[in-house]
Amino acid sequence: MDKTTRILTVDDSASMRALLNHALTSQGFDVAQAEDGEVALEWLALNEVDVVITDINMPRLDGFGLIEKLRQGNRHRDRPILVLTTESSEEKKARARQAGATGWIVKPFDPEKLVAAVRRVSH
Amino acid sequence: MPFESSPASPVTRINILQGQARVSAGPRVEFSTVLGSCVATCLFDPEIEVGGMNHFLLAEPPPNTHSGDFDEHYGVYLMELLINEMLAHGAAKSRMRAHLYGGANLNSGFARIGTKNAEFARSFLASERITVVREDLGGINARRVDFRPARGQVRCRTVENTLAPEPKPITRPAVSRGDVELF
Repeated sequence: MDKTTRILTVDDSASMRALLNHALTSQGFDVAQAEDGEVALEWLALNEVDVVITDINMPRLDGFGLIEKLRQGNRHRDRPILVLTTESSEEKKARARQAGATGWIVKPFDPEKLVAAVRRVSH
Repeated sequence: MPFESSPASPVTRINILQGQARVSAGPRVEFSTVLGSCVATCLFDPEIEVGGMNHFLLAEPPPNTHSGDFDEHYGVYLMELLINEMLAHGAAKSRMRAHLYGGANLNSGFARIGTKNAEFARSFLASERITVVREDLGGINARRVDFRPARGQVRCRTVENTLAPEPKPITRPAVSRGDVELF
């Protein structure tokens, strides 16, 4: 049997973190949560993870900045990073793609589709 | 700030329906909505004179939410959408000032959805550190809210309860949300 897939979700909204936590842990994923890009970077420096799911608009370090920093280092260069955002502009999507995001999901999210995407990018 | 009526300049009225969030810097734009148990949040950044309004039906999906239940009627989504739209227009979170309206319990027999909505809105804004400068929440009467986004002026009046939209999600469009695009 596969070992449990570990996910880090990065979102500044406590309500959104609770929704994500429920949607993912109920499907058997091991979920850690960070409230902005800075906290995520600190956590990722010390912990292993299989997939990162990040919001874009966050204080301190936003989603674009987080993706860029992760892609610059060796440890998380190839880590799947899914962007989960209310942003629907093509320009922002292109920017995320250029920064090195693996995928783009517009909120409100559908738990089944989110879980399917996590399974796809983590295998 | 008192609500100025300026008959000289015609106003473009935009109705904000359940599940919507709109932002504008248009000096003649007026957002309007009628609320029963729903809550409308008005945000205003006085420095750049931009404002926005949302109108949500329910606070948060229940913890045992099924796939697809989390949609654009929930405050948790519409609050974020409104704040992001404000940021996209150049507003700063630290300058934003909020007004909250609605959250009435029109029918005493039903679950107190209005109270839950009002509590959610207050706690969401508190956690986002956005100051609420005025609120008119709760009670048993429907409200009509008119908001001039570029001036931050709000007028809130009690209206006949029959004018409030049914607190029921309109059927979700066939187009599904949350689609995943892998690069």
